[in-house]
Amino acid sequence: MRRAGPNWLEMVGGAIALSLVVLALFAPQIAPHDPTQAVAQTFGDPGPPSLAFPCGTDQLGRDVLSRLIYGARVSLIVGLSAMAVAMTVGVAAGLCAGFFGGWTEMVLMRITDVMLTLPGLLLAMAFVAILRPSLLSILLVISLVSWTGVARVVRAETLSMASRDFVLAARALGASAGRLMIRHVMPNIAPTVIVMAALSTSGTLLLDAGLSFLGLGVPPPTPSWGRMVEESQIYFRTAPWLAFFPGLAILYAVLGFNLLGYGFLRRRHTR
Amino acid sequence: MRMAPHGLLAGALASALALVCLGCRAHQPARLFPPDAAVLRLALADDVPTLDPAAGYDTASWEFEQVLFDTLLRYASDSNELRPDLALSWEVSPDARVFVFHMRADARFTNGRPVTSADLRYSIERVLNPKTRSQGVQYFLPLLGAADFAAGRAAHARGIETPDPYTIIFRLDKPDPIFLHKLAMPFAAAVPKEVVERWGDDFARHAVGSGPFMLKEWLSGQRLVLIKNPHYFIPGRPKLDAIVALIGVNEELQWLKFEAGEIDVSSIPPAEFTYVMKTPRLKTLTIHHVTATTNYLGMNCRMAPFSDVRVRQAFNYAVNKQKLVAILNGRGVVARGVLPPGMPGYDPDIGGYPYDPAKARRLLEQAGVRAGFAPVVWLTADPTMMILGQSIQQDLALVGVDLLLKPVAWGPLLDAVREPRAVQLFLLGWGADFPDPQNFLEVLFSKAQWGANNDTFYSDPKVEELLAQASVVAEPARRYALYQQIQQLIVGDAPWVFLYHPVAYVIRQPWVRGIRLHPLRPARLDHIYLAPSVAPRGTAPSAADITP
Repeated sequence: MRRAGPNWLEMVGGAIALSLVVLALFAPQIAPHDPTQAVAQTFGDPGPPSLAFPCGTDQLGRDVLSRLIYGARVSLIVGLSAMAVAMTVGVAAGLCAGFFGGWTEMVLMRITDVMLTLPGLLLAMAFVAILRPSLLSILLVISLVSWTGVARVVRAETLSMASRDFVLAARALGASAGRLMIRHVMPNIAPTVIVMAALSTSGTLLLDAGLSFLGLGVPPPTPSWGRMVEESQIYFRTAPWLAFFPGLAILYAVLGFNLLGYGFLRRRHTR
Repeated sequence: MRMAPHGLLAGALASALALVCLGCRAHQPARLFPPDAAVLRLALADDVPTLDPAAGYDTASWEFEQVLFDTLLRYASDSNELRPDLALSWEVSPDARVFVFHMRADARFTNGRPVTSADLRYSIERVLNPKTRSQGVQYFLPLLGAADFAAGRAAHARGIETPDPYTIIFRLDKPDPIFLHKLAMPFAAAVPKEVVERWGDDFARHAVGSGPFMLKEWLSGQRLVLIKNPHYFIPGRPKLDAIVALIGVNEELQWLKFEAGEIDVSSIPPAEFTYVMKTPRLKTLTIHHVTATTNYLGMNCRMAPFSDVRVRQAFNYAVNKQKLVAILNGRGVVARGVLPPGMPGYDPDIGGYPYDPAKARRLLEQAGVRAGFAPVVWLTADPTMMILGQSIQQDLALVGVDLLLKPVAWGPLLDAVREPRAVQLFLLGWGADFPDPQNFLEVLFSKAQWGANNDTFYSDPKVEELLAQASVVAEPARRYALYQQIQQLIVGDAPWVFLYHPVAYVIRQPWVRGIRLHPLRPARLDHIYLAPSVAPRGTAPSAADITP
């Protein structure tokens, strides 16, 4: 079997994701200014992009570029951690449901269905309101509303795997349920899981931005892209760049992880 | 009245503005009224709570009540000076306990009956009657015999005498130098007994008064229509034929309707404010005034480290108030003390606390507050408040204080600050009910108000003593001098970081004239008129139209 080299989707998506990781890790070195303090006297009258401040300054005199760079931290931490938690829960639930069937499947899938009937953002808003916004609570809430889609796909994949000959053979040899799931089913659904992981990262990023936009994100002064868009609403007509750049950052990150996901998907289909 | 301290956003402006702001379908008046009728088109986000003057205690109700009904006195259109309304003249005893009014004989309710002193007595006794459940009762309890009347032990309040149909005398059990202002509140408006008794609790829907307008139609959640009272006692007033207020039009929709020429006066949504001010054509149509409101950062004087006056003073020096006003795009005046400008007793020479972070750091150091101190400030979860909160957060970071913001809803915020040791810091505002310093200094800083309006739990024996002295002094110069002395003490003790006095804005169409914003009250709609020459008024019907 010939393995395909990285396709262009993976390369572009990977480059974007990597750039975000670098920005997040080295924000203090890269950012030209303190993201929370005023660096220009543009109070109430945001400054346009200039040589000194390429993305302008906001109504509190803060450098938008520095805030964008630091904002990558929150977005990545929340996006990736929430994805990891959601994948873990989703894969576990989907695997068990698909593999065991019967009551296990019934219970797990009905829970999944109920969660899916509720709009994710609405559910997340309710949870955040109860838990009070903080990095940890945002992350947990986003995971909580994001695992269901994964569970359904993994269950479907597991169902088709569980009746394949190689699994039946292993079962006939007396392999335990755990061994069957981990050694035989998991490796075969891994490509799907990886695709789901990349795609759901863009989902969690968007959900985080959405919550921040609604004022339920990580509390100030920590810069976050969603809150930056929200805070610039007042200046939408007079200082559109305030909303444009964080919007662009969200687009960039979501696009990156989506490209990566579709790249993985194409690899799987061309294998 | 307790104010949410929004500068930009809807709230603080609500006092004078939110309700002036209105809108309605352009062609609709044309259908209800002749084409040349002078109809003021307004829009309201929410329905008017009531039109019964005994019941209303909010700006929306008052805006319409004050043109449907008359009181003995009313305020000048844009100042706190009292002018005659139903009264022609009045005398006040030197000890501020007896008030004699000579009423005009030509005022009539819109059912045709003359307004007499007996009507005024009935109206005030109705407010005193516990069955009416009026929030205005507190203002008239100082009348002699008011408690007996309220308890059902007397047929009338002894303190209200009506020697003839056009003379009314009020006697109080103790001096009240601001009683005249209480008589200018809609609670004291004349209502016709026979109509009130006919409709009972439904009087609000069938309101009959003697004011410049009369209620034509009030469809809940849809619209309120007032038409000119043709028999109003001031000839030639009002100049408008009608007012149509469409109900259920939110601020953003109001703005769209305003831009389409479908409403005549509008508030300015925060998202449009900077655009309006940068567009000369629109900017010239705005009207603004400094509200009789002070927005502040309250510090709980019983919670450490804010029990130390040095910490409270340090916070005052640390917060850059000019920056807050700049962030509000100038919709504020920096506060240097408790009383807003325009308030009697306002002291223009009070020093306050200039921005001085170095001094703040020194004071914090002396008080033993270490770097990394992280108090929590409670504020309303409103975008403008959050920005102002972040500005204060920036300022305090520079003196080593890591302020945390806790955005909550309005109701829970008010509940929390009334708990003695629950909230260290909070952002609130206070707007005057009366043009008198007592309404700020006593209501907000006396120990009797702990758990009510004194949310900082401030108390000082000297201040208490002076408050008791000042409250009964009728002679203005002495009274205000005492209150200025009290304010000095309070500013020195700094239970608040004095932030700013909000400036309220509305915008009118070019053809709308005569709008005056009042520091305390909703703008008077009966002073508005329409210029006939400028009339590019929108006429396009739309699907959202409601047919009569």
